[in-house]
Amino acid sequence: MNSKPVFFITVLLTAALFCLSLFGMKLGDFEIKGAGQMRYGIDIRGGVEATYEPRDLGRAPTDNELEAARAIIETRMDAKNITDRDVTIDKNNGKILVRFPWKSDEADFNPQKAITEIGETAQLSFRDPDGGIILEGTDVSKSSAQLSRNSSDPVVVLELSKQGAKKFSAATSRLVGQRISIYMDDTLISSPVVQSPITGSSAEITNLESLEAAADLSNKINSGSLPFSLVAKNCNIISPTLGSNALGVMVMAGKVAFGLVCLFMLIYYRLPGLVACIALTLQVTGQLLALSVPQFTLTLPGIAGVILSVGMGVDANIIVSERIKEEMNAGKGLFRAIDAGFEKAFSSVFDGNITVIIAAIILIFFGSGSLLSFGYTLLCGVIMNFVAGITASRLMIRSLSNYKALQLPQLFGARRAAQ
Amino acid sequence: MIRFYKHRFIYFTISLCLILFGLVAAFINGIQLDIQFKGGTILKYTYTDTIHAEQAEEIVEQAVGQNSNCLLQSNLAKDEKMLAVSLASNEALTSREQEAVTAALTQAYPSANLALSESLTVEPFIGKQFFTKGMIAIALSFLLILVYVGVRFKNIGGLSAGAMAIVALFHDAFIVTAVFIIFKIPINDSFIAAILTIIGFSINDTIVIYDRVRENERLQGRKTPPEELVDLSVNQSMMRSVNTNLAVFLSITVVYIFAQIYDIASIRSFALPMMFGTLSGCYSTICIAGPLWAMWQKHKQAGAKIAKA
Repeated sequence: MNSKPVFFITVLLTAALFCLSLFGMKLGDFEIKGAGQMRYGIDIRGGVEATYEPRDLGRAPTDNELEAARAIIETRMDAKNITDRDVTIDKNNGKILVRFPWKSDEADFNPQKAITEIGETAQLSFRDPDGGIILEGTDVSKSSAQLSRNSSDPVVVLELSKQGAKKFSAATSRLVGQRISIYMDDTLISSPVVQSPITGSSAEITNLESLEAAADLSNKINSGSLPFSLVAKNCNIISPTLGSNALGVMVMAGKVAFGLVCLFMLIYYRLPGLVACIALTLQVTGQLLALSVPQFTLTLPGIAGVILSVGMGVDANIIVSERIKEEMNAGKGLFRAIDAGFEKAFSSVFDGNITVIIAAIILIFFGSGSLLSFGYTLLCGVIMNFVAGITASRLMIRSLSNYKALQLPQLFGARRAAQ
Repeated sequence: MIRFYKHRFIYFTISLCLILFGLVAAFINGIQLDIQFKGGTILKYTYTDTIHAEQAEEIVEQAVGQNSNCLLQSNLAKDEKMLAVSLASNEALTSREQEAVTAALTQAYPSANLALSESLTVEPFIGKQFFTKGMIAIALSFLLILVYVGVRFKNIGGLSAGAMAIVALFHDAFIVTAVFIIFKIPINDSFIAAILTIIGFSINDTIVIYDRVRENERLQGRKTPPEELVDLSVNQSMMRSVNTNLAVFLSITVVYIFAQIYDIASIRSFALPMMFGTLSGCYSTICIAGPLWAMWQKHKQAGAKIAKA
């Protein structure tokens, strides 16, 4: 257990994991993304975060209205070729949260304009093959996705207003066998073929792939009769140039801080200091993997969290090293001093880490956006500290202390006379 | 050995002065809330050439009919100037109004290469919600950490040690707040992060010292006067306290320096208070919590003697 190679095995393992966290790995379907492919928050990659709400609506929007509004936003973003987006509905507050990146290669992209356009009232139209308008959004009073009663295939059922039914009846009689195209703004969303004249107040669109596809289409059609437009009263825009500069700066700050802390540990604590540096590398590696494997969003404060936990992480090594030194000065032999050091220091490290964990968890639960990332990296840092600062450090120190050449008390900062 | 107990009143005075200084600054500077918490709009543009702030304010007012405050900033590291337009009206600017501001400024300064670099719009109502949420987060973490300290201190010094740890905790939280006030950093979620981190981290020192007190009490017996016990324990664990805080201070200072040079506001406003919080955490543990505990214990012993007699 306390054999000499343990130190080298730990170092090799740390180095391997460190490389893995930096460069990633791909084995068939199994992929671990490297540090270069982190999922960054908008404060780093640039982008827009906007909360849309109905403009001048005297009541809370219904769930169906919110779904329709989401369909508008999604369709418009498709039209703008914004694929890497995130649109979520906050039903409790009647709001829609939208996040999308602002790519650095889009020099003439106008985010303010995009936010306005996405929220505008949707113009829904049913057009004949010549482009003539048959129905407008308000002519459809409701659309819903269902399973057909006859064939149990997914269908979209349209309920038409009185006027709409009249117009639709005339058009479908004229256009049997031809296509009717449904547009939102200028985006084609569906073009069903008229199978027979539709004279009643309801119509069915059949031949849809799945119930989800039907729901999607139904939401888009509903958007035509949405009684409000959307306005983004809370929004945050960050340009990609601003963010990418900041990323480089923070990474540099991280390297410098890591270097300085390691230097300090080496000079002040010598052999246990060296062990601390390796443990610190392991800790940061764990944090990087905890970010890249689940693709957890990393923001600038998140990077600050990693750097901060570098400083906090050595606490475990400092307590232990001080204790070992003290025990040796009190006349204990090296092995007993090391064991006593770790045993007596454990409760202190544990306490300190628990209180930081409390703070980090509260930050994760209460923090919005960028704070969430800070809380997360801090939490991962503290948890990794138990693994690296305590367990791995103990294995490494005990292993090293088996070498005769490394048993000198001064390597542990103790007085020479100790033995 | 440093006689912390003997010099205790010097330390208490220093702390009280700092707290007083913070309070005076709060009266003079006021406590500024960031747009994130009070609502409003801020638009930041990069530009070259020259722009006059007052003229820009007029242009913005004409475009959206609201008073604005324009600030020109330059950056140490980048050869780039920044125009910050802030509007603190009750109603947040819509994206359409923001477009109007951008368009009006671009038209007025065609050769300035104006480009939007950052914008933040928050409805006052939402800002208030964020603020309340943040305060709840601070209150909740205080509470949870106190409960944890209470449970832990049951074995160490009981109520007295727990109470002193709490004094140290408030001390540190106050110093962090004072830094925000003195340096006129608007209160936003960086403040929440800084306070939570500092109280989570600095209590750890205090626990270590009381742990040591308990250990020495066991070794030396109850005969040793509390002030000697405290001085001995503080001196024994001081290097650890100082070095740990030094490591944290070092890393957060590096972050601050980089954020300052390259003008990363979101990080700067959080790193600076953290730096002071770290120093305060170290100081309050060594110079305040220990001696205060000894005073309490002596007071209790004196009381017991009088009761016996």
